[in-house]
Amino acid sequence: MKIAAQDATKARRSRSTEAVILFCIGTQTFAIAADAVQEIRSTDSLATAAVEMELAEVPKVRHLVERSHRTYYVVSGCAHFGLRATRPTLVLILRQIRTAVLVDSIERMAEIPVVHALPQAFQGAERHWYRGLTYLEDRVIPVIKPDGFLTPQEFARLDRAAKSIEARHELEGAVPA
Amino acid sequence: MSAAETLARKSWVLLHVGNRRFALPAESVMELAPPVRLHNFPHTSRFIAGVIVRRGRIVPVYDVAPVLCGRESSVHRFYLIADRAFGPGHDAGEASAIPVNGECELATGEMQPPQENAPPYFAGTLAIENENIDVLDLQKLVTSAGRIDPGATNHAEPRP
Repeated sequence: MKIAAQDATKARRSRSTEAVILFCIGTQTFAIAADAVQEIRSTDSLATAAVEMELAEVPKVRHLVERSHRTYYVVSGCAHFGLRATRPTLVLILRQIRTAVLVDSIERMAEIPVVHALPQAFQGAERHWYRGLTYLEDRVIPVIKPDGFLTPQEFARLDRAAKSIEARHELEGAVPA
Repeated sequence: MSAAETLARKSWVLLHVGNRRFALPAESVMELAPPVRLHNFPHTSRFIAGVIVRRGRIVPVYDVAPVLCGRESSVHRFYLIADRAFGPGHDAGEASAIPVNGECELATGEMQPPQENAPPYFAGTLAIENENIDVLDLQKLVTSAGRIDPGATNHAEPRP
């Protein structure tokens, strides 16, 4: 009985807050739901597995990686948010969405009590980028929308490009040197 | 005094943006906020300088000085928070902040029609202390100021 009561308290507490990962791109801090991230890897550890791709329509994606038989497109966080180019050292591989995001550093994990809606005054691309804003330790931090990095149209274009890269590699493998 | 005259002769908040005075209907003004921290993050909505936090709410800050005065003003340290209408019938409101220099006063007067060729964000004029003060239509002002430039991202660093 005692244990059940403790569990109920714990459940109530966890329902009222959300675990997020705070990460940095340049001088900007962003938050993303911890359960939206499957894995965090260093760019060095993924370098050998990354396949270069260049698509004029989606310039923020320069690489793809294969993870667990799925193709993930690697989005430059700087290019996505229109920030000055930096040298990213980490890759956030997202859960359920075939996107990996290049970031500069992980600040820490945090519990946020509430995600405020993005004010209606913001009417640009940021409405697709952010779930909302959170106020944490005297800072307003945008909370990322994980499916906002690539649109379905961009995924379709990237999938087509990835198929042609795969076909080219198969052809190159079939032709004796 | 007729109902229309009563409506026209109402209270106004006079505010300074740059070196000019403007007026807003007093009923739309929520508060004059002290110089609190302006927070910024990447976005593409032009003329939004960032957000401030007031009474647990996140309030967007419109940098209207370039629109009203043709240049940015460095003397703005306070924020006048007013209600901006949203939605098709303007039925939903959102607190919106305009940087001002802190010298705000309340005045009563009768609004006259705007001057000929006045921009659409001037709803009219007030004759107060031998000065013609333009009355701002906040909705039209921030709409004209806030047109989206898809190529532009706000790179501003957070200011203390």
